[in-house]
Amino acid sequence: MIRSIKTRRQAVLVVCYGVIAVFMVFFLFPPYWMALTSFKTNQEIESLKGIPFLIQQGATLKHYQDLFTKTDFLIYLKNTAIITTLVTILSLVISVLAAYSLSRLGFIGAGILGTGVFLTYLVPDTLLFIPFFKIIGWLGLLNSKWSLLLVFPTAIVPFCTWILIGYFASIPRELDEAALVDGANHLQMLLRIFLPVAVPGLVAATMFAFTISWAGFLYPMAFIFSNEEQLLTVGTVTTLIKGDVYHWGGLMAGALLACLPPVLLYAFLMDYYISGLTSGSTKA
Amino acid sequence: MTALRQEPLAEEWARQRARRRSSVLARLRSKPVAAFLMCLPLLVLIVGLIIYPFFYSIYLAMLNKRETQVVWLDNFRFLFTMDTFWLVVRTSFLFTFTAVFFKALLGFILALVINTLPTRGQRVWRGVSLVPWVMPLALSTLGWWWIFEPTHSALNWILVELGFAPKSWLADPFWARFSIILVNVWYGTPFFMIMYLAGLKSIPLELFDSASIDGAGPFQQLRFITLPMLKNIIAITMLFSTIVTFANFDIVRVLTRGGPRNETHLFGTFSFRLGIESGDVPLGAAVALVMFPILAVSAFFILRGVRRSVV
Amino acid sequence: MKKQALADRREFLKTVAGGVAAASVVGFPHVSRAQTKLVLGLWDHWVPGENAVLKEIIEAWGKANKVEITIDFITSIGEKLQATAAAESRAGTGHDIMAFVTWDGTKYKDKLEPMNDVADALIKKYGPYNENATYLNFQDGKWVTLPSPIGSHTYPLETRMDLWKKHAGIDVQDIFPADVKKRDKRKVDAWDWKMFLAGAKKVHAAGFPAGMSIAENTDSNDWLGPLFASYGSTFVTPKGDITIESNATLEALEYLKELTKYLPPDIYAWDDGSNNRWLISGKGSAVINPPSAWTVAKRDQPAVAAQVWHHDAPRGAKGRWRGSLPFTWGVWKFAKNKSAAKDLLLHLGQKEQQWKLITASQGYDMPQQNSFLDHPIWQEIEPPKGGQYNYPIRGDEKLIVCGYPAKQDLAAQIYTRYPIPHMVSRVTQKGENPKEAMKWAAKEIATYMRG
Repeated sequence: MIRSIKTRRQAVLVVCYGVIAVFMVFFLFPPYWMALTSFKTNQEIESLKGIPFLIQQGATLKHYQDLFTKTDFLIYLKNTAIITTLVTILSLVISVLAAYSLSRLGFIGAGILGTGVFLTYLVPDTLLFIPFFKIIGWLGLLNSKWSLLLVFPTAIVPFCTWILIGYFASIPRELDEAALVDGANHLQMLLRIFLPVAVPGLVAATMFAFTISWAGFLYPMAFIFSNEEQLLTVGTVTTLIKGDVYHWGGLMAGALLACLPPVLLYAFLMDYYISGLTSGSTKA
Repeated sequence: MTALRQEPLAEEWARQRARRRSSVLARLRSKPVAAFLMCLPLLVLIVGLIIYPFFYSIYLAMLNKRETQVVWLDNFRFLFTMDTFWLVVRTSFLFTFTAVFFKALLGFILALVINTLPTRGQRVWRGVSLVPWVMPLALSTLGWWWIFEPTHSALNWILVELGFAPKSWLADPFWARFSIILVNVWYGTPFFMIMYLAGLKSIPLELFDSASIDGAGPFQQLRFITLPMLKNIIAITMLFSTIVTFANFDIVRVLTRGGPRNETHLFGTFSFRLGIESGDVPLGAAVALVMFPILAVSAFFILRGVRRSVV
Repeated sequence: MKKQALADRREFLKTVAGGVAAASVVGFPHVSRAQTKLVLGLWDHWVPGENAVLKEIIEAWGKANKVEITIDFITSIGEKLQATAAAESRAGTGHDIMAFVTWDGTKYKDKLEPMNDVADALIKKYGPYNENATYLNFQDGKWVTLPSPIGSHTYPLETRMDLWKKHAGIDVQDIFPADVKKRDKRKVDAWDWKMFLAGAKKVHAAGFPAGMSIAENTDSNDWLGPLFASYGSTFVTPKGDITIESNATLEALEYLKELTKYLPPDIYAWDDGSNNRWLISGKGSAVINPPSAWTVAKRDQPAVAAQVWHHDAPRGAKGRWRGSLPFTWGVWKFAKNKSAAKDLLLHLGQKEQQWKLITASQGYDMPQQNSFLDHPIWQEIEPPKGGQYNYPIRGDEKLIVCGYPAKQDLAAQIYTRYPIPHMVSRVTQKGENPKEAMKWAAKEIATYMRG
């Protein structure tokens, strides 16, 4: 009996790993293909001979070297890091305050505002970017990376607020009543009681904000044209495709490097996120 | 003298500051004021950067092409007579429903599978599965494009080696639609997976234990425990994904630019084509605006579902 | 201050017009423009080094004239250049001088400063712009934009002469030698679309098809436009009558139906770079493109590059047409220093600067004034020797942008919304009846006419 459970368990695991293997091939083929291209020489990229999945004419680091020495890649990287950090902080502050207020304070119109926040998420960026030209031009921020501090949160805050409302709502009300009796005001309560309990939600919101901001493409493409102000996503594409000439090796190298910071951050935060989730549920 | 006077003054200021602070704090204790203050940044953001631009684009959509006079709803009337517009509507719905369905399905399967693994092994696969979602979409789509590239296509190389005819991935309307959906599924599945996984973790294990003691098989457990417990998170994830998918821009823009024959245009890319590439901003704004009621209606239904299941 | 500068410029233009200053190299009066600033949005040129030369020229001018210069080189990829223009026209701020692709200036012509004074001065000095550039830029008595050589290019055939000679028995080097005087009129006249089709069949059979895109990209416009024109098909008359439903169009469509059988099936998804890769990979035997394909081949597959010959398009019943993609310069009405901007453009239009820039672009940039076509570079570039001699028009070809001769506003729509490749692929890929496809195109174009 025990053995049969064990073998059944093992069979299930084999199936699971099989399914995972299929998924992994699907998920990882594009980055693999990109990495491969980035290490090939131009001659091999253009050539139709041989097996495309291997490097057969010798690997080269030239595309990476060129990226750092001949393009403004490092400037883009710096800009993206600055903007992403600030946008994430800004969006989180706005979302946390609003989510607390909307989920706990129950003022008149909270329901309407909550729905309103949600509705704003329905306004797509392809609709907003034309009017943004006017606002950004009026503020004198056209061709400035700071314009992104304004426009990126529009895509982030509604979703983050939404997530956090959910997490805050799950915190038992007895907690804050006790705190209020102790004389804490709402800000203190938010900082001391809600935030520590809502860590999983905060991490999720942070990751969301970070991803959206790091990957932003349409806005920097529309609003920024100087290399000194440009971000990584757009900069990589615009520096390495010129006219009808594509520098595939460099393009793939740049794209991969641009993907690295979020991938690393996720590798680190994911753990924290899940452990936060599980510990939160056992405590509650 | 001055030193003597300064000290009491400083003390006085400190007292005043403290009083002021405590009054602010006291006010923060009162619900309406605190609520208002805490919502203020959100309100500023929403009013200034979403609602105002939104109404401005409604205004734009009611201008004539040269933007010299107001023509009210003529742009929409005109739009509805365009064959291409209805093609875009059809493609957008097809794209959204197919992509969201497969993302939800594959994400669910993957979440279940990963959740079944021993806890120690989960970590790696969870992390690796997230790669597509973490890579900036515009850049990963560029990688996909290089995979589909007609002359050097990696996929066609495999097909040919296996003895099949090479496919025109982005040239044939069917395969072009297939390709943009494939890339969207590739990109979005991890997001579903991670949301579902978080949901799965929150289901108390005792539920499964007692169910299996009662003799429920894995499928019954799935049907009567997992799915009901995840109902909310499934609905919310699908809702947000529907919105993002419907408004997608990057994938089509990089892969097909709407071709062949406009068959892969979505609202976003068609609006860009009209507004930016051919300089008809009002008509482009009109196309983008049509998205809004469609999204609002679908959001209404899903939200209603969520509320009902919450209550 | 501003008025003064303006007056000075007028004065100067008058002098130029009088031909007095024509002889001086730079010939600019050093107007005092303390603290004047000029911000330029220029096309990010793909030829390595051209940006630097252009920058140097402009900065030297800035120094001599005490103008502080800022230059942004903006790529045309992802319609970045177009999006920038759209952004600035809407925001009412941005660069003083903008580079535009083909029709982009026309889209914003209400917001652009007329360039008549600069254009007239340059015409007086160097002769008229080519007809194509005049059609694009000169609208209702106004030069809405100024023809620019930088980035302007035409679409000759780029043929692998070895493959065509070997498999199709057509020696393009012999028909279009690197000296127009040595052309044999009989041979040139025989080079028509029919002969091209016969050759395309043979190279296809040999496993080296020709490849031209029929998709939503400018390359498609730039070979289909000329092809329809050479069949005598006019989409819309200058008066605004839609005449696309014609026997000439029908004939051209039937021809394309036949030709596309021998082109790769992926042409319906090609972008502007696909034909380059097709040629460079060694599999393609002919494309219609400016020399950028050859340039990359020279870097990556030199053996291929050495066999690429640039030459004239095939002829149709109504002549021989070649596609073009000219760039233009515009000065926004809201620009803070219009007078300085115009002075700079006048400076860039002078022969010395044009000469330097053509050299820097390795011959890619095609001047818009015929008098500059005697630049020696097109004879010098190799391999093969003389391979780009025919990149400037040497014979009986006429330049065209797809949509000509419709009125410019409409032609811009026909160019940027790609109804022509769309109509063609309805017939050649979808298998639709050509008459139905023409009807569709007529209906589609009618929707572009809204005011």
